[in-house]
Amino acid sequence: MNNKIKSILKQAELYRSQGLLNEAREKYQTILDLIRKTDQIKNKDKLLEGLEKKMILLEKDIELVTSAPTTPEMSEHVNTLIKKLFSFTKDSEKSTEDDAALEGAIALAKFGQFDGAIVEFGKLLEIDRLRVTSAKNILRCHLTLESKDDALNQFAEWESSDLFSPEQLEKIRVLFNDMLEKKGMAASQVNEQAEEAAAEIDEQDDEEEILDISAVAITFDSGPHKGEQFELDVSFQSGNIISLIISSNDEVLVESLKVGVKLEEVHFYSPIAIFRGSGVVSAMTQIKSGPKKGDFSLDIKIESI
Amino acid sequence: MAVFNIKKREIECKIVYYGPGRCGKTTNLEYIFKSHKKQIDGEMVSINTEGDRTLFFDFLPLELGKIKGCDVRVQLFTVPGQVQYSSTRKLVLKGVDGIVFVADSMEVRREKNMLSLKDLQHNLKEYNMNIFKIPLVLQYNKRDLAEEGIPIMSIEKMEKDLNRQIKVPSFPGSAVKGDGIGKSLQSCLQLTLQYLNKQLNWTK
Repeated sequence: MNNKIKSILKQAELYRSQGLLNEAREKYQTILDLIRKTDQIKNKDKLLEGLEKKMILLEKDIELVTSAPTTPEMSEHVNTLIKKLFSFTKDSEKSTEDDAALEGAIALAKFGQFDGAIVEFGKLLEIDRLRVTSAKNILRCHLTLESKDDALNQFAEWESSDLFSPEQLEKIRVLFNDMLEKKGMAASQVNEQAEEAAAEIDEQDDEEEILDISAVAITFDSGPHKGEQFELDVSFQSGNIISLIISSNDEVLVESLKVGVKLEEVHFYSPIAIFRGSGVVSAMTQIKSGPKKGDFSLDIKIESI
Repeated sequence: MAVFNIKKREIECKIVYYGPGRCGKTTNLEYIFKSHKKQIDGEMVSINTEGDRTLFFDFLPLELGKIKGCDVRVQLFTVPGQVQYSSTRKLVLKGVDGIVFVADSMEVRREKNMLSLKDLQHNLKEYNMNIFKIPLVLQYNKRDLAEEGIPIMSIEKMEKDLNRQIKVPSFPGSAVKGDGIGKSLQSCLQLTLQYLNKQLNWTK
């Protein structure tokens, strides 16, 4: 019995030293149960007391690990590194430094470095074509930080400045309202005048508000494959344009999905729900190089969802 | 997402160390950092949380020198292994060119290894990548623990659990002692550079 206990204790100590705290806890518990059941062990009470102390310390360690913040604020150095390592467009010929800066700022936000991200997005407000995206992300960061007042103040400041055109401001306002509603905050807190103006805005105006689509199921409503359904994963999405990869072996799809073909029955799978809608094939190109060489890249413009 | 600068004849690729929490991914990089001083192109960066657990990633830049007339630079990353850091893991995996999957040889971690490999497959799929096609090697880490009397799985069992379908090169290892670490990296680099050559023709 002593040897058995020693062996399990050794395992428990090693698991603990490896940081496998739950595994260590299981082993300590096994030893405790064994000792409690056995009367022939010398110094039983002392052993139990020692093990219980170990368990208490272990529980404290587990608590420390589980309660550690998942996105603590990092140093400037770390944030600079995140921006550098996770802005991929810097390597693309077509992209600019501004695109890389935007991607760096988004990376900061994704790593939970919201204060740093707000600063970076703030710099990009100077760039006309990135202004609206940056502004939206600033508001998102404030709301993720639960700083509703900061978000409201920021929006009010933009409203009273001439940084944004009226159209740009409306786009931001619509999204801001939506974000506030999702957070369960009163949308009425956004300036009333802006609220009234929003009623006049065409929802289609804001392409960026299309949900993230992860897959689609296309059902042909005419032709030789009428009624057949094909499911495809979305490889890329930009606004209301989704890109899919079609294998060159999928002759049915390659033949049927020509540019301009209207797809009246499409199920769009998003992370939150499946939507029924329609789309139109806007582009179809054969991939010339890489692992997908020979396959086709198909773009579908979402018309309704 | 390797970068190939044709004019400068430079190629930069990204290798990610993946695996369950506490399997030894960071220890792998620490060993490489200590043992490959000549190839290290900067400092190793570790972003940790409580209990020395990787919070975001570890990063180690390597400079391999000229291969077929091309300067080859490698960025080594580790992902956070803890289950709750799923989104960070996916973010770090973005643009990966090759993977070293570090599995824990301890019996008690058997299920975690399998779940982590499944998680890798899922995250690759999200980026439209295929676990059967991407350059990948397996490392069965912590083999040294057998000497301490800790129950570890046999290589055969680990092969059956993890490598039965994907059939990639695999190596026994001990990151604390350095055994198998160089071999795992070397094999992964070899596969990655071959793979990239098919895509980018960088040796021509």
